[in-house]
Amino acid sequence: MKQAFRWWQGLLVAFSLLLVMRVFLPLPFVNEVLLFSIYTIGCNFLLGRVGFISFGQPAYLAVGAYATAFYLYYFGTNPLIGIGWGLVAGVAIALLVGPLFVRLRSDYFALVNLALTVIIFFLMQKVLVEYTKGDNGLWILTRMASTPGIDISSANGFFVFAFIVAFLVWAFYKYLDDSVFGACCMATKMNEVKLKFLGYDDFKIRLLAFVIANTTTALAGSMYAIHVGIVSPEIASPARAADPVVVTILGGVGTLYGPIVGSIAYTGMKDVISKFIGNWELVIGFLLVFIMLAGERGIWGTLEPRLEKLLRRGRNNGEREQPAKVSP
Amino acid sequence: MNLFTSPDLLISGIIFGLSIGSIFFLMAIGLSLCFGLMRIISLDQLLYYSIGAFITYSVSLVTGSIVLGAIGGTIVAAAAALVVERLVFRRIYDRDITFTMITSFGVLIGGVGLIKAIWGLVPRPVPVPITAQVTMFGTDVPVYRLALVAVALLVYWGIWLFLNRTITGKAIRAGIEDVEHVEGLGINVYRLFTITFVIAGALSGLAGGLYAPLIMVDPHMGLEVLAFVFMVVIIGGLGSIKGTLVSAFLVGQVVSLGSLVYAPLAQMAPFAIMLLILLVKPTGLYGTAFLKR
Repeated sequence: MKQAFRWWQGLLVAFSLLLVMRVFLPLPFVNEVLLFSIYTIGCNFLLGRVGFISFGQPAYLAVGAYATAFYLYYFGTNPLIGIGWGLVAGVAIALLVGPLFVRLRSDYFALVNLALTVIIFFLMQKVLVEYTKGDNGLWILTRMASTPGIDISSANGFFVFAFIVAFLVWAFYKYLDDSVFGACCMATKMNEVKLKFLGYDDFKIRLLAFVIANTTTALAGSMYAIHVGIVSPEIASPARAADPVVVTILGGVGTLYGPIVGSIAYTGMKDVISKFIGNWELVIGFLLVFIMLAGERGIWGTLEPRLEKLLRRGRNNGEREQPAKVSP
Repeated sequence: MNLFTSPDLLISGIIFGLSIGSIFFLMAIGLSLCFGLMRIISLDQLLYYSIGAFITYSVSLVTGSIVLGAIGGTIVAAAAALVVERLVFRRIYDRDITFTMITSFGVLIGGVGLIKAIWGLVPRPVPVPITAQVTMFGTDVPVYRLALVAVALLVYWGIWLFLNRTITGKAIRAGIEDVEHVEGLGINVYRLFTITFVIAGALSGLAGGLYAPLIMVDPHMGLEVLAFVFMVVIIGGLGSIKGTLVSAFLVGQVVSLGSLVYAPLAQMAPFAIMLLILLVKPTGLYGTAFLKR
């Protein structure tokens, strides 16, 4: 019982803090932070656990968003089923391109993903213009029926929904980190040959990780579609391709709570900078270079070890318990 | 009009493909060389391309000469590359490849922001320096596009001479094979890195300057060609100069002729070809298996 509680306590603390944030900060900001966190955790998982850097996350985001938008625009009115379709589309695209992409070296992987983003962008903007309405986008805000229980078509209901989804996603990724599969992912990053020697199929592990990460991204996309109420090709814009990577690094690569911390910092800075300076790219570009040169560990990556040390010291002084197992 | 019944369209399509293939080559060669020698993926080459184009615009506005503008663009791009290399890349050469890639993306985005701050967001037109046309196979062909192809071939020849006939070039080629052995021979590899990086930046700047008259110059122009340049490098194989030339002209033709057959194909077809080639040969046409660093 105590052990089970310890497993959950980090998650509970983190999400309680998010709830506290909800009291002090405006609702759209918190919603955006939640969506961005879900968007980023896939990228964080790929980069931190599997060693794949992907500049192509907008592609999967757009696939999820468009699957939801298509459903709501042409077929039905229930946003939950729309999100379901977003997930299905995410799995489908990941399974379609995954077997090809995960065979590639990390550098090629990044380039190929970026190319895929450009393709999806043009596909949605030009090729499928009959269905996607091109740059005008698909307006689905008024077509959503309210759902029973939590009404996710309203901003408040959406916050509750996004909060629950984010919590589940984080619990899932925490579980992945602890599982044998998570260890295998780490092993593909660190020593592929040894992993093969132990009898694991590295291709299957990578493919599964790729599918999981990009389905999460697609989920973020379909939730984004419902939150904003319009989906346009802009969502797959290659100019935004760096966002998830920047947030991942800003928060701390491979840390569980890095995406949340990074999203808060990034969204906050974006709001402040675009209000006062207006030249968003200049700041984010040089910030990225600065973080990389300063030590690449990010905000949470720097804070976490100190926090852990502090907690352990407190615990040892008090109850003299066994120290908690430190995650790698 | 059908592509296959009209030789006019076919020939102008091929010339168009060759000219944009030349631009792709000039840009991709920098990426390819940097990868070959330093094992970095230098996304900021696209920034030097934009810089070259903007300097060309400004200089041609003042002096009225595009040639002078392109030369100025090349020089400023090379200078910018030198500064970035000294300030940023010198510190991170021995890091992981994804690490340098993210850093160079930061340089690219930050540089685009800087260009926005200096020149603003409005797209700028640059006049075409040579408006003459020649008749080839019964079709009028703009001379400027032919000049672009000539410049690209000259650059290829120059790079070939540099790499095969000068001692520095030979050292660079040896460095592509095994950088530690070169270091062991007492050659300062960091000087080689700087030279290569500056050459790459200068060529990207030249590409921007030469391409400026054919398009509108705007801050996001680098991001627009990003995908194509990547495809060229991937199809040719990272680190191979010959492969880059072949795949640049291949992608150029696919974009040009593809758009004549069915307009949206221009963006899709190179991707399809890239996927096919990677399926058959994951390292690209002329690429070698992972080079150990």
